Amino acid sequence: MSFLRDTLVLGLIEAAPLVLAAVGFTLIYYLNGFINVAYAENITLGAYFAVVFNSMMGMNFYLTIIPAAVLSGGVSVITYLIVFKPALNRGVGRTEMIILSVGLSFFIRYASRLVFGADILHFDIVSPSYLSVFGTGITSIQITALALVGVISVGLYYFIYKTNYGEMMRGLANNEDLAMISGINPTKVSLLIWFIAGTAGGLAGIFYGVFSFVSYSLGWNLILIIIMITIVGGIGNVRGALIASVGAGIIITAVTLITKPLYAEIALLIFFIGVLKAKKVWG
Amino acid sequence: MVELLSGYVMYSLSYILIFVALATLLHLQFGLTGIVNFGIVGFWGLGMYVFGVSLLQYNFPYIVSLILATVLTGVVALALGRVILDLDNQAILVATLAFATVVRYIVTTEKWLTRGVLGLGTVPFPFDLGQYSQFGFFLIILLVTIALLLYTYKLGSSPYGRLLASIQDNEILAQSLGKPTFREKLIFFTITSALIGFFGALNASVEHFLIPHVLTTGVTFTVWIALILGGRKRILGGLIGVIVTIGVLDFIIETYAPIPTAYAPLVPNLKYMIYGLTLMLILIFRPLGILGEKKSTKILKVIRKL
Amino acid sequence: MPEKKLHLKNVMKSFGGKKVVDVKDLTLGSHSIEGLIGPNGAGKTTLINLITHKLKMDRGQVFYYPNGREVDISNKSLDEIARLGIVRTNQIIQDFQSLSIKDSLLLSLSTPKYEKFYKIFSESELEKEAEEEIEKYLDYFHFENPEGHALSAGEKKLLDIIRCLLLKPKFLLMDEPTGGLPQDQTEKVRDLMKKKTSEEDMSILIVAHDLDLIWDVSESVCFMAEGKILIQGCPEEIRKNKTVAKKYMGESDA
Repeated sequence: MSFLRDTLVLGLIEAAPLVLAAVGFTLIYYLNGFINVAYAENITLGAYFAVVFNSMMGMNFYLTIIPAAVLSGGVSVITYLIVFKPALNRGVGRTEMIILSVGLSFFIRYASRLVFGADILHFDIVSPSYLSVFGTGITSIQITALALVGVISVGLYYFIYKTNYGEMMRGLANNEDLAMISGINPTKVSLLIWFIAGTAGGLAGIFYGVFSFVSYSLGWNLILIIIMITIVGGIGNVRGALIASVGAGIIITAVTLITKPLYAEIALLIFFIGVLKAKKVWG
Repeated sequence: MVELLSGYVMYSLSYILIFVALATLLHLQFGLTGIVNFGIVGFWGLGMYVFGVSLLQYNFPYIVSLILATVLTGVVALALGRVILDLDNQAILVATLAFATVVRYIVTTEKWLTRGVLGLGTVPFPFDLGQYSQFGFFLIILLVTIALLLYTYKLGSSPYGRLLASIQDNEILAQSLGKPTFREKLIFFTITSALIGFFGALNASVEHFLIPHVLTTGVTFTVWIALILGGRKRILGGLIGVIVTIGVLDFIIETYAPIPTAYAPLVPNLKYMIYGLTLMLILIFRPLGILGEKKSTKILKVIRKL
Repeated sequence: MPEKKLHLKNVMKSFGGKKVVDVKDLTLGSHSIEGLIGPNGAGKTTLINLITHKLKMDRGQVFYYPNGREVDISNKSLDEIARLGIVRTNQIIQDFQSLSIKDSLLLSLSTPKYEKFYKIFSESELEKEAEEEIEKYLDYFHFENPEGHALSAGEKKLLDIIRCLLLKPKFLLMDEPTGGLPQDQTEKVRDLMKKKTSEEDMSILIVAHDLDLIWDVSESVCFMAEGKILIQGCPEEIRKNKTVAKKYMGESDA
């Protein structure tokens, strides 16, 4: 019984950064139609920005969240303007776009390694207060993370389905020419989406970094799972991303508690392929 | 003369040849057939470790271990391909990438088999020619790589090559002409991936030592940038690309450029940054490689002129 | 007179709740050339897609009768069905952009005998075997650049037709083969159809809006509207039929 409880609570905590990342990732995928592997670096940079503000500039952890997230959003917008938009305008195909994003990912990752160093960095946090939730210990930071995930997920869901901007984005994703005729400014909407996605990714990185540690490969290690979650949950489907993230978090936690992390990786791969095949049959 | 034939130069050339082979195999998989294999290092590592474990843990003879490594990698490729090759390109990319990650995990954690991060050594050459052993092995790699390039050349002007090209071009149309596209993609993927494993096994002798540490995505990435740069549709695309990337960056610059020791640790980072930047530039501005478009479609032109 | 070649039973396909094809009982191939006509959106192309399994039917069965046997092809794949001898030309142009005209034709003629990964020296053998037939077709249709690529939409359509004919199909489904072709090429296609069906064991089902062509070549005509086959009979019957006149003739130039 305690195994179940631990798995659920820990799984949710494990899932929290994944949800943030997946939700941002699925937006870009939906809008532009390709997998942006360089999103991994959004996540990593969010963590790096926060840890620099925190450890080196002495800011309180909670205060670093917003500036670091905003900076990540900025980086995301820059990558869109400098790399992805020109590439799309030149008619680069979907397959080439994903390969290109791998190139960008390597570029940013090793640039980060150059700038921030190859060492692992830790956040400077005051001993967090513990709370007991259903008998499992959970820190105030983890609660903040879960709360933020909740707020952002609801916020994004509302944004996409209930606001004008969200409607514009969906219109743009479905048919760009038609959208332009309807008066939607594709650049403005795209920039907004890329900013939001970058922020979500940055936040994911911050929390992942504070739960463990910050290194240049933080995002890269997560990107596969995020891609899988997005595809399983449905491209552009915020609710699906949420459910799939929670599912992934629980699977990873459960398997890690029972056996080795290796089998979690294999389990996810098999599950992922299974979902793809199933979608093919019914999709 | 002996110094030239052994030591660092031989090692560099052997290493370069293996990557030329890998890039050429990627040309066959991606350039010709359209399979986006981002798990190259997975098949390479699988071949390397099956070979190493077979040779060093179970003491099978060299040739047997080599064959075992190739065949087993092929079997795994067959199983994976069976499941993923009818999905779309992006899914294949992600699935092969995940596969490579799994291979690295297995190699690292199954310590009873692979000795994990401690590594497996020492892998000898298959023969003992004294100081010429390294040169002898280099010749073997050279021969095999040349054979692969010749096969690739001939394939390009053969009915089977045309079939593979048609599958990449318009698979459904090829099917409506009666071509068993999935089966042929699977067979070809299996064979070429088995060969990737074969060259992984050869690499074990070149390095003499096996560590999971070398099985990074960086390897896959390096092969990709080499092929894209050299021209994915070109028969010599792999050769050109590898010489320009690994040949220039890894060996000539690292060996001969006078970089002050203070800056030395920066070089590997700069290397990947340059690779990443180059990849992006090529894909955007010259997607067919630095040499641009081929003047004629290689398929058949040569034979028809004879 | 060839026996029946294809038999469709209760074949149904819906898109988003709307029935696009609903064919209860249809026999094809009893005549050398049969026509399939109907207004736009009647489901003619979809029907061809279902028969060849380019599209999966929701329900129903398709039986094929090569040489008197009965083969259930309802669940066979696109390529299997093509190998069994059921081949179709495409209404919307389909081509291999990276292959030249000759390459396209050689691909069509190439058999599993040549297509093995280890057979890298068999190109000249294939070319020798294929030379005569390819030259005949290239001469007949006059491509602008036979050594190069098909240039116009018309050339690509002809290439599509030749590729299919080279497979020596038992049952050829032609979806608007002459749409967009100049008159002289249309006549060449028509003559070729008649020649092939009389010389070889081939039946043709032709879908077209060019009713002159249909009345000229077809021994039997089906009329399809709203997913259903309303009538099947000889051209005179169809021309006189009031339902056909109402649903279709008013639309197009008869």
